[in-house]
Amino acid sequence: MYTGCRCSFKKNRWMVTHMQQMIEATELTKNYGTVTAVNRISLSVAEGELFGLLGPNGSGKTTMIRMLTGQIPPTAGSARVMGIDPAKDPVEVRRSIGIIPEQETPPSFLTAEEYLHFVAKIRNLDAIDERCGRWFDLLEFGDKRDVLCKDLSRGTRQKLMFAQAFLHEPRLALIDEPLINLDPIMQRTVKDFLRGYVRDGGTVFLSTHILEIAEEICDRIGVIHNGRLLHSGPVEDLTATGRHLESFFLDLVRGDTGA
Amino acid sequence: MHSTIFGSVGFALFPVVVAILALLGSLTLPVFADVLPYDAVALLAHALFLLMGVMVGSFGLMGREFMNRRFGQASLIAYASRSLPISEQRIFATFLVKDTVYYILLYVLPFAAGFAAATPFIGIDPVQGLVALVSLALAFLLGLSAVCFLSTLYAHSVALFAGTVAVLAVAALAAFRLGAITVSTILPPYAFFLNPALEPLALSLALILVPAIISVIFVTVEYPDRTKRFENHLDPLSGRLHALGSAHFIAKDALDLLRSEGGAGKVIFSFLIPLGLVWICLRIMIRFIPGIDPLVVFAVLLGVLSATIYNWLTEFDSFTSYAFLPVEVREVIDAKLKSYALLNLLPAVVLVLAAATSGGAGSLIPAFAAFVSVSVYTLAVTVYLTGLHPNVMLYSAWIFLRYLLAISPALLLLIFASVFDPRYALLSLLLILPAAFLIIRARVKWQAWEMPRY
Repeated sequence: MYTGCRCSFKKNRWMVTHMQQMIEATELTKNYGTVTAVNRISLSVAEGELFGLLGPNGSGKTTMIRMLTGQIPPTAGSARVMGIDPAKDPVEVRRSIGIIPEQETPPSFLTAEEYLHFVAKIRNLDAIDERCGRWFDLLEFGDKRDVLCKDLSRGTRQKLMFAQAFLHEPRLALIDEPLINLDPIMQRTVKDFLRGYVRDGGTVFLSTHILEIAEEICDRIGVIHNGRLLHSGPVEDLTATGRHLESFFLDLVRGDTGA
Repeated sequence: MHSTIFGSVGFALFPVVVAILALLGSLTLPVFADVLPYDAVALLAHALFLLMGVMVGSFGLMGREFMNRRFGQASLIAYASRSLPISEQRIFATFLVKDTVYYILLYVLPFAAGFAAATPFIGIDPVQGLVALVSLALAFLLGLSAVCFLSTLYAHSVALFAGTVAVLAVAALAAFRLGAITVSTILPPYAFFLNPALEPLALSLALILVPAIISVIFVTVEYPDRTKRFENHLDPLSGRLHALGSAHFIAKDALDLLRSEGGAGKVIFSFLIPLGLVWICLRIMIRFIPGIDPLVVFAVLLGVLSATIYNWLTEFDSFTSYAFLPVEVREVIDAKLKSYALLNLLPAVVLVLAAATSGGAGSLIPAFAAFVSVSVYTLAVTVYLTGLHPNVMLYSAWIFLRYLLAISPALLLLIFASVFDPRYALLSLLLILPAAFLIIRARVKWQAWEMPRY
């Protein structure tokens, strides 16, 4: 059930004849001192794709997203996000895409509505009330619009972060653990939204350790463990063999010796 | 927390820096003895530690902010009374003891040690170093205890607080006018330093312990019992500030300040009370230092104190909140500077009022120039050294030392120059140039620090 966000872009408006690569990472590496959080990962995500990066806690998923969004520079390797190098022009990347970070919370002393307006002003958007109202309706938190962010529940904060990421109708969204604080009803809404968004030509790169989400909504997955990409391929290749993603993932991760 | 941020060595060096500065300052005392007698310096030192106690105590405001502001990242511990079988009184008392030990070890002990190390060279009995340790600790605790007491009153009833302050102020003023009390009786720790006898010691302890015990017994912690709701004030506020640019950031700063608990109390405790103390001390100091223009010196100190407004502005903000948005660090810093300029109207009004009520209007122009220049320069040094993290980074020994070295010589020079002629305070306008340079450098430096690129 995709209720639609009436995004201004539609696949047929800007879809090119060949699939454009929205994300291209080449040998991307991040070291923190002696610890290698991400180890020479190369991957690409095509336009109109919903790509899921799966991995256990501490495997390097968030570091990967932070490098792709220009929040931290890579130690080695390179990336291009919508044709822009995030390490060289992080602000332009963030202008073009939507990001839902794993932990960052909205400023404490703004209300939910004020926060969305604040983000809209940063992004120089028009029709702010209409844009915000759409998200209050879709994620059903309009009754919390006048509550200070610090007083919102975790789930409502996550809805707010979701709304801010899509407020400017980006062509690409990078989402870190999208459903972790949401109730089952809202999880369904968000999953439907993401599928509809991709159907309309949007591209999603999400990281999660909840395998059911990936199995249900992703077109393609990558499995990351100890900073290394162990597997990358379409979900349907797995399901066609009758295997469940969970057993595939566990075999892959448990069999990874780090060599 | 601080040792985690700065490393054990950086944090451990902080008291060493304080001790070295106290030693160097003490060694210069004979040079200025004609202008600045030892008693006046001792009074100044005790007033400073009293002020520090007031400012440390002012972080402990009422209600939730009382806990948040006092304990910072330890607020989870402070809230433990909700999830663990520990009373709020016990937690508050423990944190009072913790603050006492922490600040005495970090500031008072090294300051007294620096002074004690200098005594053989400046003709003062080394025992005075030990006396200074006790009396300065008492001065600090007096300020801490008084503000905790007042903030507890404030938390129970604003009217009770206002009434108590009014009664105390009127009584003190009347007694002072009648000559019934002297500086020593107002500041018993100072009296103890001058005459280490039992009476001033007992009086000091009574003035510390009684308010502190009352504060602990009657402490109240406001846990939110209902969700506050607000209309959208961001849009109208940023509309009004549109001409300044980055209006939404400035509006957000204003809402952060207005909606964070404490409100007016925050301004009263951490700004107006210290300013009042500074003014009283200056009025007393002019008796010791002939030629000093209290308004100019007040303006210089006001400039330094007003720079702490920047700490308020950055307290509720972190660049991590913007790290996923198309925002440059320099944009956030610029907006903070604009917010600071607007809020700095408050100390400017205080200065004008001080000039009007003290009969010092004749030196208002140089005093005003000194205030603006020192305020801008101190702010620029703070921004350059600490970026968007002044509340944390000034506890790094290296940063604190650089902060002091950048600010102290300019201020001392300005104050001494104004002794000869208040109009020399106009020279402070020269500080605007290094301030502008530091701000430009700070924008580049913190952009690279918060948003590292290739």
